[in-house]
This record gives sequence, structure tokens and C-alpha cells, in this order.
Amino acid sequence: MRLLPLVFFVAAVCAQEIPRHPRELKFPPYPFTPPRAADFRHQLASGAIAYLVEDHQLPLVNISVLVRTGSYLEPAGKRGLASLTGSEIRSGGTKSKSAADFDEEAAFLAAQISSSIGPTQGNAQLNCLTRNLDACLALFADMLRNPGFAEDRFLLAKSQMLQALERRNDRADAIEAREFQRLLRGESHFSTAQVTRASLEAITRQDLIDFHARYYAPVNFILAVSGDFQSRDMLARLEKAFAGWPGAAGAIPPVPKPEFSPRPGIYMFQKSDLNQGRVRMGHLGVTVSNPDHIALRIMNGALGGSGFTSRLTMRVRSDEGLAYQASSSFAPGTDYDGAFEVIFQSRNPSVAQAVSIVKEEIERLRNQKLTADELETQKRFTIDSFPRRFQTASLRAAQFAGDEYDHLPPDYWEKYRDRIRALTADDIQRVARQYLHPDRLVIVIVGNTEAIVKGNADRPQYSFDKLGLGAVRPMPLPDPLTMVYPSQPR
Amino acid sequence: MPRLLVALAFVFPLAAQQVQVEEFTLPNGLKFLLAPRKGSPTIAAGWMARVGSVNERPGITGLAHLFEHMMFKGTHTLGVKNIEEDLKLQVDLDGVKAELRKQEQELARRRRLGEISDGSDPKVRTARHRQLLEEWDKLNARQRELIIKEEYDQILTREGATGVNATTSHDHTLYFVNVPANKLELWFWLESDRLANPVFREFYAERDVVHEERRRMESRPTGRFQEQFDALFWQSSPYGWPVVGWPSDLEAISREDAGEFFNTYYSPNNLAACLVGDFDPVQVKALARRYFARLGRGRREPEPVRTLEEPQRAEQRMIAHAPTLPEAVIRYHTVAEGHRDEPALDVLASILSGRTGRFYKSLVLEQQLAASASARQDGLKYEGYFEIRGTARAGKTPEQVEQALYKEIERVQNEPVPARELEKVKNQFQAERYRRLQSDFFLMFQLLMYESTRSWQSINTDSARLEAVSVEDLMRVAKKYFAATNRNVLLFYTQRGAP
Repeated sequence: MRLLPLVFFVAAVCAQEIPRHPRELKFPPYPFTPPRAADFRHQLASGAIAYLVEDHQLPLVNISVLVRTGSYLEPAGKRGLASLTGSEIRSGGTKSKSAADFDEEAAFLAAQISSSIGPTQGNAQLNCLTRNLDACLALFADMLRNPGFAEDRFLLAKSQMLQALERRNDRADAIEAREFQRLLRGESHFSTAQVTRASLEAITRQDLIDFHARYYAPVNFILAVSGDFQSRDMLARLEKAFAGWPGAAGAIPPVPKPEFSPRPGIYMFQKSDLNQGRVRMGHLGVTVSNPDHIALRIMNGALGGSGFTSRLTMRVRSDEGLAYQASSSFAPGTDYDGAFEVIFQSRNPSVAQAVSIVKEEIERLRNQKLTADELETQKRFTIDSFPRRFQTASLRAAQFAGDEYDHLPPDYWEKYRDRIRALTADDIQRVARQYLHPDRLVIVIVGNTEAIVKGNADRPQYSFDKLGLGAVRPMPLPDPLTMVYPSQPR
Repeated sequence: MPRLLVALAFVFPLAAQQVQVEEFTLPNGLKFLLAPRKGSPTIAAGWMARVGSVNERPGITGLAHLFEHMMFKGTHTLGVKNIEEDLKLQVDLDGVKAELRKQEQELARRRRLGEISDGSDPKVRTARHRQLLEEWDKLNARQRELIIKEEYDQILTREGATGVNATTSHDHTLYFVNVPANKLELWFWLESDRLANPVFREFYAERDVVHEERRRMESRPTGRFQEQFDALFWQSSPYGWPVVGWPSDLEAISREDAGEFFNTYYSPNNLAACLVGDFDPVQVKALARRYFARLGRGRREPEPVRTLEEPQRAEQRMIAHAPTLPEAVIRYHTVAEGHRDEPALDVLASILSGRTGRFYKSLVLEQQLAASASARQDGLKYEGYFEIRGTARAGKTPEQVEQALYKEIERVQNEPVPARELEKVKNQFQAERYRRLQSDFFLMFQLLMYESTRSWQSINTDSARLEAVSVEDLMRVAKKYFAATNRNVLLFYTQRGAP
């Protein structure tokens, strides 16, 4: 009780000092210049590029290796080879250490070591205590250079992959992503080629050894190194770890572009036991070399790329309560056109309504300029959150290495904020008109087809017929092991 | 050469491990945890309410989580063009909702007696019901004109803040964001405003959003069974209902329930805030007083949860058919977060899990029985459990996996774990302690989580407790908790996904 009067007194005095509205707050400036990649870049004698960023706050070292490889380089009929090679580099021991010994040693040193190969990039990572760096780096380099590809681990991985194939039609989210890509990129592009039982069975241990030998060499590496070390000392260690490693054979072929024109429409995949329809809708986008990708980023932020502040969340979630989450992305591609995509999930009867609202919002961006307020919000967000890209040493190193891997111009980040500042509402409307195509939408819906088509009796104004994209096409799911589709409606 | 380095692996300068936190409490009971770190362009800022689904009761399950959503819906200042009109509309909306509720209750009664099959079919509604729905739509349309959509989020976004979000668990609710280091005052303004002047606007539309959130979980092949298993596992404890709540409760929760909940659990004496990043603690203290001192202390301290878990007297089993890999999940009742036996259980989980863990070596590699297997100790505020699980390889049954898991459990009960194996796990815990401090945001999150169950200091003291775990401790806790009568078994059989 004795404290009460004091609390009231404090409250009364302080209340006067609180501005009525947050827009009355004044903030000191925060000058920020993005770090220059060139200041951290080193070329090793072996040909590898290494970005070194020191940070002595914690006794940890992080080394990430980007490798110029990918599943696009798999020979015909061996789909799954790249991914298996990536995982088995880590799991199969080395030429001088059994898989079990390698794993035990890494575990005892508390080192985190990983390896993988994705569609257009390989990656290997080491995170360890500074004190254990010598032993851990030796393990890591041995793994990269001399993987053992132990037979029993290889067979285990194959059997686990086969088991996963059998279950590939279980998850609605997996179906949605896979079928959208297939409808957007066609079937002959590597990005939609699927592992089958036959392709998996065709892969031998020797294939893994060959795939690794062809691409894993320092000339194909870009390293992002961050943490508790002295750069000069770290360079010497890396030189030693990669010394005498011969270059790989021949140049690496470029990533092929898809040659396919998607067919717009509403494609529905039956999963009758779902109480929610999963939707992914969109069309082809642009590459990062297209200067308009910056304006498209701002446009996408206003549409569905910035959470609760974007139009899709406000209308689909907040106004109508139709979905927990609705978002869009317009990520530019590196080697070929990226995609424009909107994704959400909604209860069966309201899917048609939510799809209609999304299409309306896409059209609205073409027909009306962003309000001054929306444009300002998106621009300021992008500019004021910019320093976060470089917040930690590991983020900086990863950014530099990734940018070089993707051949981003060296002055990209230096000019980035000025390019954002220069954008006007006219610019945004121009790119919306040029790159958003409501008539070309490919709409993939996974769920209980009957309930979704039936729609909501309380909202008869919304139906799939009114979207102008033709009748709903029921689509078959493929056999999970052969990926053969029962009857091809096209 | 490696040997020597290995020997060094667990020699640590203990002082370097300590997270330095400055703590202060306002007269109204609101506690602040400050962890300044130089050089970062953003500050991780968050606050935590010591309330979760465990504080609910039948009839209002899901309210803690629904409430988390409501905290983003605006205040007397934000999210609205005319607060007086808005408040009047809210009263009208509540009135119509109460009438609608009666209609829904009548439909529920008729459905219960089998007179109708679908209570949501428009054809079964009375004329009065239809009229109420029209009024409802009109009032909502009027309210929509008064609302400034998502203003809270927009202000933060415009100022370059990222990761604006919140999360509700069984035990606590956390609200967090990363703000640019020069704009920390904005966080003070916004957070004190929504605690001082909240308005639970768009309450009923937000309930629909939560229903969708629930459906999302149910759409996962095993999601819908998880809830049933939780309900089976907890006999009397409020941990038995899902954080997201039972659907029938979500339908019935009113704005009045939410108001009462706020007054009880969102008083400053039930909250703690935490900042990690580049700031001046002196300035922060002044800001804390200026903005948060206006909150009045709650009239009474929220009471700890009364209903505790009754001891389990017999094994329970649940068999599910789902479009997923065959799997065995086994849960034992153990101890709450921070209990003296918890470090030993954490160590046991690590002995069993991972690439060099016993489950993987035995079930996956040697016996070729499982595709994967793992263990974990999950300590909640009032209770806890130890869960082991394994998915079967093609041609193997969940029962085979179950039995093989028990074999490994028996081994840790009856044979001492070799010293080197224990050392390996302790090395990993030590390294993990550093890794967990790498992100400002994650540090803020952990400090608040520890503060919600015990105190933030646990982040510094837990590692000594783990270091002290002995081979004998491992056998003792394994024998104490992994008894057949104390286990709950969930077996998944593969069912082809519905076409």
C-alpha cells in the first residue's frame, strides 16, 4: 500500500511525456554502409575463393563451402544421384576412416558437419569450437576430398529414399509444390524431373564416386568462413587443408533454361480426407539480371510479401478470416526465370472465395497505383531493414559467398537502397502491368475436390466459373514409384 | 595429435559462458532483463506473459492463444479512426453475437437429438437467425469502415522492424520483434500502449482465423492423432487439451471472457520484458519508467495452476492408421522443467539420439529395423515427459520397433554408460551452449522462456548441473521413470492416403 501513491505520481508525470501517436516520435539517424565483399575476399593457391569475416564474441568457427554442382548435372536415368552423393559425402566415412569412426570422432569433438547437393548448388558446412579447429578442419577437409562412400551406408540411404518415394503422395503440401512446378516448367526440365524406383535402382556406388570426382575440387569452391580466428592464420590453415588437390576435369556446363509455355487453368488434385484446401497460384517471373526485379520486390511486398502489412493478409485473413496465412513471392531466378506465386490454405467451402479475392488483388495492382502510404511503407521497410542482411559475421560471409556464386554485380548492395529510393508509384504500376498476368494464372488446388467445388452457400457470388480460367480440371496423381500419371488430360 | 586436442575439448573458461544480464523491476511489478551487445544494427525486443493453455479451464480452452492474436488488433489510439463510435459498435456486436449464440445453441441441441445433420446448413436456420446474421454483417461492415487495418504491424514494418510475431505455448505467451537500434523508443510506445489501452477488435473474425490455424495442423497426416494422444497421455493435467483449444470452445468464447483473462494474466506483475542488442541501459531504464509505469499492478497475483497430474497406474496404448510411415511413439511421465532429475534425462536423450546415438547404431544400422529413431525430455512448467520414437523400415512393424526401443531402454537401466560416451554428450552440450548464444533474437527468446518457468539465471547455471551428471544418475533416472506402467504407446500403421 505504501507504494501506491508513488506509482500514481510517476504515472501522472510520465504520461505527459508520452507522444500521443507513434508518428510523433523522432529517431536519431542510423548511418550504415554495407561492407564491401572485396575487403574480405581471398583466393587460395588451390583456386578456391574464401570470404573471411572475424567475430570473436564466442569461441566458435563456421566454415561453409559452396560447390559448383547440382542435380542438373545428373546423367539421364540417374535422377537422385546428386542428392545421394551430397548426403553420402557426409555419411559414408572417408578413404582412411570408417563411417562409424568418422561419426564418433566428429561427435566427440562436438563438431557439426553436414553435406548436401541441391538443384544448382552443393553445400558443406563445419561448425566447431575454436579449440578443436585443427582436428575438425582435418576431418572436414578429408570428408570433402576423400569421401569413402561406404557400401552399407549407401545401401541404407537408397532404401530410405525408396521408402520416402512410396509415401510421396501422402502429404498435401508436397503434392502442391511438385505439381505446381510441373505445370509451370513442363516435364522435360531438370527442375521437375523426379526420382523414381528405376532411376534410384540404376545408381551405383561408382556413380557417386564419379560424380564427386568430377565436381568436388577447390576451383569449384567458394568458402564463407566466420567466427573466432585471425584471418592470416585461417588462410594458412585453409591453404594447407586444400594443398595439392588437383583441379576438376573440364568446365561445368551452364544451368539449362526450361523451354515450356505453361497452360493457365484451375488444376484440382483429390485428397478427400483433408478439411482444408491447399492452394498455390501463379505464373512465370523474371531473372535477377532484369533490372525490374527491384520494383517487383516492392510490388510484391505490398501484395503479399510483408506479412500483416500486405494486402493479401489484410483481405484474406483479416477481413474475411478465410486463411491463417496468405502470402506471395516474386523471387527472381538466377539462371532462368523465377516465378510469381501466391500460397494459402482455406477451409473447403471458402477456397473459391479466397482464390477470387487473390485474383482481384492481382488485378487491382495492375489497374490502380499503390497509395503513397503503401509505397512509402514498402520502401522504408526495405531500406531501414537493410542493415540486418549484414548483422552477423556469418550472415556477411554467407552473403558475399552466395553473391559470387550467383554472379551478382559487385556494386549490387552498394546501389540497392538508391534504386529503392528512386521508385515511384508509376514504376510499380508499370511493372505490375508488365509482369503480372491474371489471365495466365496456373492454379493448383489440393484437397477434397467435391467440397471445394461445392463452395459456400452463403457466398454464391464466388465460384471457379467466374474466374475466366476455364472449367476446373480434375487431375490425377502419379504412381509414386514410377511417376507415371494415370491419364494425361493434356 | 588429435588425441591431445580431444583432451582439450572440454576445458572451458567458465566466465566466458556467463550471459551478463542487468535486471530491474518497476514498482508495478514489471521485470526487465537487459543484455547489451555492441555492434548489432537491430535490437531483439520481447516480452512474456506467464500464461498459456495450462491456465485455462474447460469452456475457454484456446483462449490464451486466441488472446495472443487479439493483442495485434489495435488499441484506443491504433487501428481505429473514431474510438467512441468503435466502442459503441463493439457493444452492439456483442449483443447480436449473444443472440446468435442462442440460435446456434438451439441448432446444436437439434443436432444432438438427430433432428438435423448439419448445423451450418443455411436451410435449417430460423427467420430470426437469418435476420440476426444480416444485422451481424451490417455491423461488421460498419466496423470495417472505422478500422485502420493492421496499423500496429504497419507502423513497425514502415520503420524497418522485422519478425513481428508472437507465440503461445502451454505455459507462456511471448511477443517479439527486431527493431532498428535507433528506434527502440517505438517498441516502448507500442508495447506499453497495447498493454495499457487494448481493444479486442474484430474478435469474431479472428476466431475464424484460429479455426484455420487448427485445420492446418489437422491436415498433416499425423497431426490429428497427436491431439488425441496428448489427451490420452494427460489424465488430469490441463496439458491434456491443445494450445489452440477445442473447436466447440473456440465457437463459444466471448469478448467478455477475453477481458477477464486480460485483467488476470496481463497485469505487469505477471509479465517480463527482455532486450538484447546495442543500447544504453541507462536510457532504457528511463524509457521503461516513462512508458510502462502507467500500467497498474493487478488487483491480485495470478494463482499457480491447481490441477496436477495424477500418477499413471497402467500402460495405455493407442493404435492409429494414417498415411505415414509405420511408427512407434512411447511417452513416459517424468519431471517438470528445472527438476533435479532433468539434466540426467537430457543426457540420456542425447545418449540415445543422433548419428552416433544408441538408437541409430542399433535399430537403424545393426538391426536394419528402423529408418530413424530419437528421444527427448520435454519439461513443461508443472509436469514433463520423456518421449522415444522410431519409424519402421519397409517390411517391419511398429511393434518390432517398439520392442527394439525397449531393449535400449533396458540397457541404460541395467548397464552403466561408458565414461567416454558420457563425455561425448557433455562435450556436445558445452558446444551447444555457445551455439545458442549466437543469435540476439534467440538469446532474448531463451531468457524469457527460462524466466517464465524458473528464472533467467538458469541459462548460466544449467550447464554446471549437466556437467555434474554421473553414470549412476543415468541408471537411477532410467529405472525410476521408464517403468512399463508409466508408459503410453502410440503405434502408427500405414494407411494409403485417401484418393
